[in-house]
Amino acid sequence: MATPAAWLEERGHASRWRSRMVRGLLIGIAALFLGVILLLPLVTVFVEAFDRGIGFYREALVDPDALAAMRLTLLVTALVVPLNTLFGIAAAYAIARFSFRGKSVLTTLIDLPFAVSPVISGLAYVLVFGASGWFGPWLEERDIEVIFALPGIVLVTLFVTFPYVARELLPLMQMLGTDEEEAAISLGAGGWTTFFKVTLPKIQWGVIYGVILCNARAMGEFGAVAVVSGHIRGLTTTMPLHVEILYNEFNQVAAFAVASVLSLLALVTLAIKTAIEWRTGHRGGH
Amino acid sequence: MSIRFEQVTKRYRGVPVVNDVTLEVAKGEFFVLLGASGSGKSTLLRGIAGLTDIDHGRIALHGRDVTFVNPRDRGVGFVFQHYALFRNMSIADNIEFALRIRGVPAARRRERRRELLRLVALEGMDERLPSQLSGGQQQRVAVARALAHEPGVLLLDEPFGALDAKIRTELRRTVREVQRRLGTTTILVTHDQEEAFSLADRIGVMHMGRLLETGQPQQLYRQPATRFVATFLGAANLLLGEVATPYRVRVGQAMINHASQARPDAVSSTEVVTVVRPEDIELARHRQVLANPCLGEGQVLETSFGGGVGRLLVQVGAGANLRAAARVDAQVHPGLAPGACLLEVTRTAAEAMAMPLAAGDSIALGVRRLHVLPTPVSSFLFRAPTREAVLELRQSPLVAQLVQSTRANLSETIVAEEQPGTATLRSAGLVVVDNTGRTPAEIASLVAHGARRLLCVPRGAALPRRVIIHCPDDAPQGEAMGLVASLVRHINAEATFVSVMRRDAVAAERTRVLRRLLDTRAEVRASHGLDLRTELLEGAVSEQLLALASGPDPALLVMGIDGDRAEIEAALVRDLGWLFDADARWPLLLSYSGPRPAALAAVL
Repeated sequence: MATPAAWLEERGHASRWRSRMVRGLLIGIAALFLGVILLLPLVTVFVEAFDRGIGFYREALVDPDALAAMRLTLLVTALVVPLNTLFGIAAAYAIARFSFRGKSVLTTLIDLPFAVSPVISGLAYVLVFGASGWFGPWLEERDIEVIFALPGIVLVTLFVTFPYVARELLPLMQMLGTDEEEAAISLGAGGWTTFFKVTLPKIQWGVIYGVILCNARAMGEFGAVAVVSGHIRGLTTTMPLHVEILYNEFNQVAAFAVASVLSLLALVTLAIKTAIEWRTGHRGGH
Repeated sequence: MSIRFEQVTKRYRGVPVVNDVTLEVAKGEFFVLLGASGSGKSTLLRGIAGLTDIDHGRIALHGRDVTFVNPRDRGVGFVFQHYALFRNMSIADNIEFALRIRGVPAARRRERRRELLRLVALEGMDERLPSQLSGGQQQRVAVARALAHEPGVLLLDEPFGALDAKIRTELRRTVREVQRRLGTTTILVTHDQEEAFSLADRIGVMHMGRLLETGQPQQLYRQPATRFVATFLGAANLLLGEVATPYRVRVGQAMINHASQARPDAVSSTEVVTVVRPEDIELARHRQVLANPCLGEGQVLETSFGGGVGRLLVQVGAGANLRAAARVDAQVHPGLAPGACLLEVTRTAAEAMAMPLAAGDSIALGVRRLHVLPTPVSSFLFRAPTREAVLELRQSPLVAQLVQSTRANLSETIVAEEQPGTATLRSAGLVVVDNTGRTPAEIASLVAHGARRLLCVPRGAALPRRVIIHCPDDAPQGEAMGLVASLVRHINAEATFVSVMRRDAVAAERTRVLRRLLDTRAEVRASHGLDLRTELLEGAVSEQLLALASGPDPALLVMGIDGDRAEIEAALVRDLGWLFDADARWPLLLSYSGPRPAALAAVL
């Protein structure tokens, strides 16, 4: 007959063994899932891209249309990310620091791009700025092209990526409070000094993190851009659009070659983000 | 004067969180603002620094009015509860921040930094980041940083609140020493009375946005003027007593001499609130061996050990005729007999050793010293025809707030017909009646029968946000002001003393009215420590008061009256006739300062 102690010990063994089983099983499922759903397609991109050798791959990338698409994507990103960084900091600062009428409305509006499907936001811009839209005739008279041109692409990308910086900063600023700013003011600092010497250093990692997310989305945006770009090859196709065009033309290798560049950019972004997370984690920052 | 506020008021959504605070802090003084959380003390402090805008009043630092001066130019040093060091800067950069902004050359900055770090005992920490220091060290840096630009005023907002007890005492000593050495005028905000006692030259106690009392720690502890301060600063037993002679009160069975003169208006047998500190109660096995006047005999209910002092709860049975001036929650002390009075007693370890006591022991209590509070509101007497009516009266927002905040003793008289019931009315602190459907004649009758302080609350009256005080020209105001001072502290309302003069008044008349208004304000401030707003109106009294009372925020009207029954009635009809309309919702507080019934007035 087992003593209570022995019985407990046996039970302990059993439960420990079971918990190890459960842990292994869960990790296995997660790994399998990630492999099939995430990793496999990514690997496929690179495999397909190099399907016919490095020569074909190079050729697909130096194609003028492909180069134009890359240039356009980088240009749009270079315009959108700084603008949204400024807007995002301003919006987060206003919401976290001041109380004003309509504050909750503004907070909700910031989230709007997350909630609205990108295709619909693209369509909305067409309805506003398109030839038969509200401002269409007015723009046409002055010979300003918005839709099916660079301004349209920049506008929809701005719209879609607006929340990233603001959303990243809002909780951070609310958590960090205003004590340091008040201390700076009581010590004689003015508004700008306080912002650049105290506020910005305090939230810098949040800003960088938001910029990275914003950047990734700006480069990869498809739906909204597809609606307003007009798919003019070499002129208004960004990289994601170019990939789609090539694929629809059964030019598999070229499509995957461009896609691989896009994926590479995404992976680099991800690597930077991880490095920053690691760094802030070790700094005891946010 | 180094810091001076004049009637500073700050409202949040219409409710004053800092209410007419007037204060002067002398140069080099260490002043502690003490109050529970939400009492408005931090808001007031932030108002001085300009971190919070104030809605009304003036603030002057070193004789310079800074009410509208930008916070960066006020020249104050501010220390926050959670240090608020610049986390991305080294300790050196933190401390030099104010100097760098002022363009002080590097060599002088370094010199000043070294000096400050030495002052707060943190030499050699210059290159560390705030996150590498302990909480106590961070707060030392914050103090050094706040002093870098040699501000004339140092403000500390609960600076030790986030620290452990031991570091707290240590840092307290440092702050006090630094302040003494530099002679910087300092205001520190805290909720910890021990901290206030150990640091302050002078303490100001805040409650519900008002600065209730200011004074040296000793003086506030021994001779508080308000119920709140008496119970907030240390433990206190509040007991109801009865005036015997100007310097003697009867409490329970004891007749006790006291140093402070009883309330100026008190005649023999007037009910008063007395403060007996737990350490001023003497315990003995038998009343014969007591060295001091005996309060009564009771049983030990509970004992607890507190290191240097032993704390006991003693109940004195109903038979001793001892009445508490504050209600005790019976549920908290299940052993308490009905009608018994609960007393807190502390004894030194030596005393406890000499006479060990346990729960259930019988004991005689003596009083070494007591203090009589000047408040006229010793208790509430509800007067209504039925029990339900009394309950309804108590649930009225104004009454509920007063009862809850003062914790004063309650009694109720149920009077079926309108019989005056003179004796109970006369001894009561504040008589409360329902004012729905009453006539001025009925109210006048109650006053004439002895209800010197009468609160008339109509059904559906809202909690007042304003108190409008009106004393007809010829009525003496002393008592009315004492009553207002005592009650207004328990509601979040702004008090305004109103004078109304005729439109065709001649210059001499105008001067007289204006002078009376200002004199009254100065007098109330001097003798009751309450700052009133004043307002001078022109026209018919009744009309002007109605216009004022009809403002958006609910108002309580206070009127000082005297004369006989007919005169009281006439005054009510003349000045406040509209208050007796069927749909009027204004509560009315009457303070009668006319002659007392002859029999009672004989002693004084």
